[in-house]
Amino acid sequence: MVSLVTIEMLRFLRPFVFPALLLGALEWYARTVGKNSDALAPPTAAVLAFWHALMSTGEGSILQATAFTLGCASAGLLIGALSGLFLGITLGLSRRAAQTAFLTVEVLRPIPSVALIPLSMLIFGFGFRLEISVVAFATFWPLLILTQAAAQQVEPSLLEVARALGLSPLARVGKIILPAIVPRLFVALRLGVAIALVVAVTVEIAANPSGMGYALIISQQSMAPELMLAWLFWIGVVGYVINAAALALQQRVAMRMGEVLKGAAKP
Amino acid sequence: MAAELLSFEALGVHLGGREILSPTSFTVSRGEFVCIIGPSGCGKTTLLRAAAGFVAPSSGCVRRNGQVVKQPSREVAFVFQDYGRALLPWRTVANNVSLALEAAGVPKADRPARIQAVLQTVGLTAHADKFPIQLSGGMQQRVQIARCLAQQPDIIMMDEPFGALDAMTRESLQDEVSRLVREQGLTVLFVTHDLEEAIYLSDRVIALRTGPTKDKPSLAAMVEVKIPRPRDQLLTKENPEFLRLRRELYGFLGHH
Repeated sequence: MVSLVTIEMLRFLRPFVFPALLLGALEWYARTVGKNSDALAPPTAAVLAFWHALMSTGEGSILQATAFTLGCASAGLLIGALSGLFLGITLGLSRRAAQTAFLTVEVLRPIPSVALIPLSMLIFGFGFRLEISVVAFATFWPLLILTQAAAQQVEPSLLEVARALGLSPLARVGKIILPAIVPRLFVALRLGVAIALVVAVTVEIAANPSGMGYALIISQQSMAPELMLAWLFWIGVVGYVINAAALALQQRVAMRMGEVLKGAAKP
Repeated sequence: MAAELLSFEALGVHLGGREILSPTSFTVSRGEFVCIIGPSGCGKTTLLRAAAGFVAPSSGCVRRNGQVVKQPSREVAFVFQDYGRALLPWRTVANNVSLALEAAGVPKADRPARIQAVLQTVGLTAHADKFPIQLSGGMQQRVQIARCLAQQPDIIMMDEPFGALDAMTRESLQDEVSRLVREQGLTVLFVTHDLEEAIYLSDRVIALRTGPTKDKPSLAAMVEVKIPRPRDQLLTKENPEFLRLRRELYGFLGHH
C-alpha cells in the first residue's frame, strides 16, 4: 500500500518534473548532437562554472556583480518611484495640473528607456550613475500613470469627508489619499521592481561594464557558454527571489491595513 | 446675541442649467431641530450641501453666525447618507473618530479621552478597536455620528442618515439622536424623505417641492411641531397633533 506520506511527497515533486526533464534533455543534447556548439553547454558544466564563479572573490565575482546590479536597480527604482508617486498624486488630484502636464507626459513616456543610454553616458560616463538614471527613467512612468489613476479613483465621499473635517492638504494626502491607494500602489511597485531589474541588466549588457549583465556578455564574448548559462540561471533566481519578497511585503502591508480582514468578514 | 445660527437668504441653486432650488429663505435658531422633506429630486440634499458649503449658490446666500458660507467648515459636522463610504476602512472605530480630532489639531495626548467620551455617548465603547467592515450598518452610522460629535460643531447636518437602515435600527437611532440633541443642546438640520421621521424628530418641518415655478417656489410648506419631548415611538405617533401634521404634510411628498 502506498502511504499518505509518499502521496504527499509525489504531489510536492510534481512541479519539478518538467524542469528536470528539460535539463536532462539539454544535458543529453549538449553532450551528443551539439557537442561542438558555441552556444550550448551541458547543465552539469554550467553548475561547475557557477560553483567556480561563486568561490572566486574580488572584481567580477558573483556576489559583487549581484550587489552592483541590485544596488543600481533599487536606487533607480527609489528615485523613479518616489518622483512618480509625488507627481502621480499631484496630477491625479488636480485637473489643472493634469491638463498642463498631459502633452509633456505623452511625448516623453513612449521613449524606450534604453534609448536614453547614449545621452546618460554623455552626462554621467560609465558607472552606477548611468545605470541608476536609466532605471529611474524607466520606472518613473508606470509609477506615475498608475498612481495618477489610483488617486483619481479614490472614493469621492472620502474626499468630501476630508473637506468637511477641514483636513489640511498635506493631511489629506497622508491620511486619506495614500492609505486609500496603497493596494494599487503595491501592484505598481511590483511592476516597478520587475522593470528595474530588466533595465539594470540591459544597461549592463549594452553599455555599463559592471554587474550581472556585463558578466553575462563577457562570458558570451569569451566563448564560455557554460558560464553564460550559469549567469542566466543566477539572474533568474535573483529575479524570482526579489519578486517573491515584493509579494510578501505587499501581503504584510495589506494585512496591517485590514484588507485581509475585509476578505475574512465576507461570508 | 441673535438666536439665529443659520439664515438662508433667497438661496437659489442651478445645476447643469436647471433650476434645482428656487430662491428660498428661512432661518434656523440655535438648539433647533429642523427637518427638510420632499420627494426625490426636490433639491433637499442640494439645499443641505449648499448650507454646508459643498455647493456654491447660484443666487442668494447662506449665513452662519452672520458670515456668508463659502466653503465647508469644522464648525459644521456633516453626516453622509452612505456611511459605508464615509468611514476610512483602514482605520478602527476609535481611529475614525480620531480623524476629526487630528483635523482640528487636538494634541495627541488629549485624543484618547475625548474619543472614549464620544464613543460612550453613542454606545460604541466595546467596539473601539473594530474595523468598520466588522460592524452592522446601524453601528457604522453611529461611528459617523461619533466622529461628528468629536468635532464639537455648531450645527450637525444630516443627509438622509437613516435611509439605508432597517426599520428597527432606524427607530432606535432616531431615539438616540433625539436624546443626544436634548442632552447636548445641539442644532440639527436633517434631510429625509420619511415624513413620520421628520415629524417625530423635529421642532420644525420644511417641505420642498420638485420643479419650482414662479407661482410655486421650492419652499412648499413650513410647520412647527409642538409635540412635547421626550417623544416616544408609540405614544408620539398616536398623538392627535402628530396625526394632524402627518395629514397636512402628506400631500407634499408627491402623493396626489
